[in-house]
Amino acid sequence: MTLSAKRMARALALLALIQTGVLAAMVFHRMRLLTTGREITLPIIPVDPRDLFRGEYVELGYAVGRVPARLLEGPPPSPNTPFYVTLEKAQDDTWAPIKLSRDKPQEIGPDRIVLKGRSRFNRLALDASDPNAVNSVRYGIEQYFVPQGEGPRLEALARDKKLAALIAVDGSGNAAIKGILIDGRLQYEEPLL
Amino acid sequence: MSWYRSKLERDLKRWQAAGWVTPDGVGAIRRDLDQNKSAFAAAPVLAVLGAVLFGFAVMSFVAAHWTGMSKLARLALLIGALWACYGGAALLFQRQLAAFAHAAVLGGIAVYGASIMLIAQMYHMEGNPADAVLLWALGALLGAVLASSPAALAATFVLLTVWCSWERIASESALYTFLVPWAGAALTAAWLRWRPGGHLAALSLALWIVPLGFLVWGHHAHWLVVGIGGAVAAAAALWGRAIDRHLPLSAVLFAYGLAVTYAGLFILQFLDDGRWFLGGTDSAPVLRLLLLAILSLVLLLGAMVWALNADNRPALWLAYTALALEIFTLYVRTFGSLLNTSLFFLVAALIVSALAWFAYRLHRSKTATEAAT
Repeated sequence: MTLSAKRMARALALLALIQTGVLAAMVFHRMRLLTTGREITLPIIPVDPRDLFRGEYVELGYAVGRVPARLLEGPPPSPNTPFYVTLEKAQDDTWAPIKLSRDKPQEIGPDRIVLKGRSRFNRLALDASDPNAVNSVRYGIEQYFVPQGEGPRLEALARDKKLAALIAVDGSGNAAIKGILIDGRLQYEEPLL
Repeated sequence: MSWYRSKLERDLKRWQAAGWVTPDGVGAIRRDLDQNKSAFAAAPVLAVLGAVLFGFAVMSFVAAHWTGMSKLARLALLIGALWACYGGAALLFQRQLAAFAHAAVLGGIAVYGASIMLIAQMYHMEGNPADAVLLWALGALLGAVLASSPAALAATFVLLTVWCSWERIASESALYTFLVPWAGAALTAAWLRWRPGGHLAALSLALWIVPLGFLVWGHHAHWLVVGIGGAVAAAAALWGRAIDRHLPLSAVLFAYGLAVTYAGLFILQFLDDGRWFLGGTDSAPVLRLLLLAILSLVLLLGAMVWALNADNRPALWLAYTALALEIFTLYVRTFGSLLNTSLFFLVAALIVSALAWFAYRLHRSKTATEAAT
């Protein structure tokens, strides 16, 4: 093997190693979120109550995805940048947004949790003083890919039942769907690998 | 036989008949041509094409929503394909099949990009899709540096431009951060001494500069674009010799500067006021358009004269195209309001006739000086 070929082989190995590292970091970050993230349960608002799990993936709606514009505190976030929504747990164990802010708030207690979100339409509703203005916020938990072969079973279970998603939230506010609850019972849990 | 070769063969026959070239000379020229046969052979082109198709095959995996495999099996498949590409490249470099090796590197970069998208899909990562393209572009740049791969560098410029456009549309900001990876890629092109890479760098920068007018200073900063392009073109025209002493770049710089300048002027004239047809009683926009159109035509004619003198063909063709576009768009925009059709054609005819006369004078004075020396 000539010297330059040897050097090239080493360079290519380094390239493969770094790119593999990037991909592994993506997976690792997600696995850590799913395993160590704080768990909250959010009721799913059925967009179409029938045939929810019949397709390959479903769009899930959440009550916390509608954040009134008046909840904005501090400077408004720039378009297409993530912001933070603070949720508070009420007496009946349901979570509701209480604050929207550009910077991450520090207040986290047993009844408070901070989620990182993005506006569905890139920018927020312009008028925060309008009491009726509502921001449509995505937390990265709105797309659910129906696990292979589980569709009909979940579909049958879900008929006329209350659906909820088990969400894992990490310290930075990243959220991921960990499982699907039907009538309060965990019926499907997302595999890590 | 190439186009150049067949033309040269015809000329050689004529020159030999005229007695300017000896039969020995003709033989020497033919031998020289055979030795320096263009590197544009079919095999490397097909190899790169194969790598591109391979990339598409991997990408269509996303659409097919691969079934039946566990996440671990999918990850193993992706990482395995990545290492197979780069391992194959190393093997091909060792066998001195550089063209195929570079195709394998490009294949690896395609697999890397597909893996980012697939892992994001497998783990339901939504986030900002443009970030995934940036991650891919940086991986491609790394490949271009480590494997000295021009193909990977070309992919880098394309991906950076895609990322920039996407992010700009979503964030409505100028995205100055684009300049950081762009500079890295441009330096890599210089380091590889790859001339098409220089063009890609200039093109991607031009594509970053032109929309800038819509994104900064209250969305009407098109004069800034005209200024940047004009400064580049003027510098290339004024200090061309000084620039060319270091690197023969002035002709190319002039062409790109001209393109950016005219793009800015075009936006100012026809896109920025948000109205397609001029009309009504308000004469201010008509006057503004008229002044801008005169400025554009004068600048384009000036650029043509400079390009003719400097024998800068790309700039000349660019100026011709811009002039045609300018006249056509002026016609469409002013139809039925500012001028009527016959008057328009009269003006266009006068401009073109003046141009022809000017070109003729230029040509005659040039031949006169050549004959005198």
